[in-house]
This record gives sequence, structure tokens and C-alpha cells, in this order.
Amino acid sequence: MLAHQMAMENPGMIRAEGVEATEFPELANQFNVRGVPQTIINDGKGIVVGALPEKNLLAEIMRAVN
Amino acid sequence: MEKLLNEQVISQIKQTFEQLKEPVQILFFGSQDNCEYCADTRQLLEEVAAIDEKLSLGIYDLQQNAGIAAKFNVDKAPAIVIAAKDGEQVNDFGIQYSGIPAGHEFGTLINDIILVSGRDSGLSDEARDFLKNLEKPLHLQVFVTPT
Repeated sequence: MLAHQMAMENPGMIRAEGVEATEFPELANQFNVRGVPQTIINDGKGIVVGALPEKNLLAEIMRAVN
Repeated sequence: MEKLLNEQVISQIKQTFEQLKEPVQILFFGSQDNCEYCADTRQLLEEVAAIDEKLSLGIYDLQQNAGIAAKFNVDKAPAIVIAAKDGEQVNDFGIQYSGIPAGHEFGTLINDIILVSGRDSGLSDEARDFLKNLEKPLHLQVFVTPT
């Protein structure tokens, strides 16, 4: 999982959690998850729908944290 | 109890685990409180961990081992943390999975174990530079389904 690869670079700052959406429906609803995979960055500061290549996911993270 | 992984699957995993390099610590967090998939998740991890001696498994309870759960930032059950084991030291890589890793996600679990065992993210230099220099916490939640 790409998010997991990212966490490895800075585990003190990054937590990457795969969430099985059907087991945690309240959380999935909270973030309006309609398709998978869907990545939620910092509780909704960024949302990425689908499996993006590394550089695209990174760009969305950069946008969301700034 | 009946096995979740049949012999054919176990032999495939065994082959895949030939890539394992360094020891990996898997942490399972269950709960007595309304946890439909906790027992199956635990059993699945026990069967996977038994396949290769580089893997070890710790079994914890979200409520009874609240301190360990907090240390690894776990707030759900079932939850899985895949960490590095260096000697007696368990080093958190921020890699977790909430829910049972079934279907397609079982492959993700196996790949994550191999990833942690290699101790290298395999990311581009650009990604590494940015992530290493993050000054604020980053929480990524990747929603998936078993199919």
C-alpha cells in the first residue's frame, strides 16, 4: 500500500491506516466514502479517490498539509 | 478450529516470504466489545505468522492493553500494526490496518510484511525528501473493501 510506504519514511510524523470500509461504516460515512480505494488526508483536508500514482498522491498531500 | 488458509495458499505465501530480509513484528489488537471480526482476524494472523520464523505476533486487547494501543496510535478493533523488530526493540513504522484483511486486502497484508522486512519504502527521492522533512503530523486513511 502506497500510503504505508510513505509512513515508513517518517513514522514519528506519519500514520498510514488501511481501513476496511464495511467494518467501520460510521467512519466511511463521515468521510463520504463512495468508492474504494479512497484516501482521506488529515481528517478530510484532502481526499483522493482511486489509486493514484505516487507523484499524484504526493502532490495532493503537499496541497493538503499546506 | 478449522484453518482459514489452505495448504495451497500457505505454500504460495511461503514462496513469497523467501523475499523476507529482517524480522517483522505483527501486533494484533482485539476487543471483547462488539467485535465481529476480531476472532477471525487473530486466527488469520496466527496462521500467517507461523509460516516464517522472521515473523512474530503479539496479541493485545484495545481496552486491557490501552497503553500499548496508545503507543501505536491504535483506536479500533480489529487492528493490525506491522512493525520492524530489531533485536528486542519493536520499531513502529506507522503502518496499520483496521479490519480483517480478507480477499484483495490479504495480498496487501502480505506485501506490507515484505515491505517492512526490507526496511525500505522504495519511494522516489522527491517523495522521501518531502516526507522526511514534514514538520506536522500526517494521517492517511485509505478506505478499502475486501473484494
